[in-house]
Amino acid sequence: MRMVNFRLPYNTGRIALVLAAVFLLGVLLLPSQLQGLFQQIGSPVGWVLSWPLRAVSGVQEGTAELWDGFIMLRGVAEENQKLRRELEYLKGQNDQLRESAAATERLTALLEFKKQANLSMVAAQVIGRDTGNWYRTILLNKGQSDGFKPDMGVVTPAGVVGRIVKTTAATSVVLLVTDPNNAIAGLIQRTRDEGIVEGTTQAQARLKYIPLLSNARPGDQVVTSGLVGGFPRGLAIGTITKIDKDEGALFQSAELTPDVDVGRVEEVLVIQSPNVPSEGERLDAPKVKSKS
Amino acid sequence: MKAVVWMTLIVGLVSVQAVLLPYATVWGVMPDIGLIVVCLVGLFEGELAGLLLGFALGWVMSLFSAADLATCMITKGAVGYVAGLAGRHVVYLAPAVLLLGMLAASCVSGLLTAALLNLSNQQDWWWAVRTVVVPQAVIDAMVGGALYWLVWSRLNIQRWVSEYRT
Repeated sequence: MRMVNFRLPYNTGRIALVLAAVFLLGVLLLPSQLQGLFQQIGSPVGWVLSWPLRAVSGVQEGTAELWDGFIMLRGVAEENQKLRRELEYLKGQNDQLRESAAATERLTALLEFKKQANLSMVAAQVIGRDTGNWYRTILLNKGQSDGFKPDMGVVTPAGVVGRIVKTTAATSVVLLVTDPNNAIAGLIQRTRDEGIVEGTTQAQARLKYIPLLSNARPGDQVVTSGLVGGFPRGLAIGTITKIDKDEGALFQSAELTPDVDVGRVEEVLVIQSPNVPSEGERLDAPKVKSKS
Repeated sequence: MKAVVWMTLIVGLVSVQAVLLPYATVWGVMPDIGLIVVCLVGLFEGELAGLLLGFALGWVMSLFSAADLATCMITKGAVGYVAGLAGRHVVYLAPAVLLLGMLAASCVSGLLTAALLNLSNQQDWWWAVRTVVVPQAVIDAMVGGALYWLVWSRLNIQRWVSEYRT
């Protein structure tokens, strides 16, 4: 057997240096153009790579189902008992909610919420998570070819999940509501005070810029305000657990527990037309109602 | 043929990193398998191979992350290149040297990433070092050491490659 030295010759080091220097120069001089170029080239690459990702995700899901179905049966009887008790409780709550729903329906008609409820949503499956440790994101199995674009809102029936920050032809990256780099316009449902919902480093969320005179309290529900950010008004974000009021501060802030368990989400809905009012529409003077 | 092997390696690594490794976190942090492989390839195949694999992996991984393209490419490319330069001067690679080298490479890469990314005000340097950089460096060193032991020592991949070439 003959051993071969497959180290590259020395002058290739110079090529490597030149390549690195050209790339660094490109990044420094034309950061957005270079990013756009690589993103465009990356779109078909993302489509190709989405197939092995789906395959691996399918195998992982199959294994998890097998585990849940056969091995984790030990706690089922106890869980069943617990769920029966919960069902009785929820039946009672359901009756109350029917009453509230009827009232809400009337109010919705009065406040012209019909327009906002007319959302165009597309379902997508979660196939992975961020490839690094710096951001909390999920990876969806649909992208540009399904009409997904950055800044579109992502929800589940339980509430807000996050918003799309990056897309390829067949995948999308969703920045979760619990990421500190995310910001969504929020509203306290009871007091109608607006603020900005940001993620925290502890994987929770925080409502900032609440007016000092607000009487918000733990237990209050926070929903999207619909002003900016790809979400219509009224989607659940989380529940206030603690109010922070610093002495001398201009605003209060509140700790939130997100309504969606973003660590376990498997299917999501992407909002394609949130009917968010434009800047001009929001700043317009209110129209005078005609006398009838 | 070589291009197919590299592409298969990249596709496999990205799939594992995005789909499987999020379920294998320690202290809330998962290993960066891409960084580990770039480091090992740079060390054993030279700086050009390390640099190019680092750039390619950084680019593809940035497509499936909120991190920006330049940061991913620069950090992984730099690690591959520096590992290649280090490999030029290493005659015998002791396990302790490999582990410490991998720890240092992951630390430097993590600090570089923290400096280049436009993180929020909550994510200061101390937070980055405490919750991401150091835990990830420790995990990367352990996984890298295990991978080296498996691929280079047990499977003897270098002998296979040289036999294939002859």
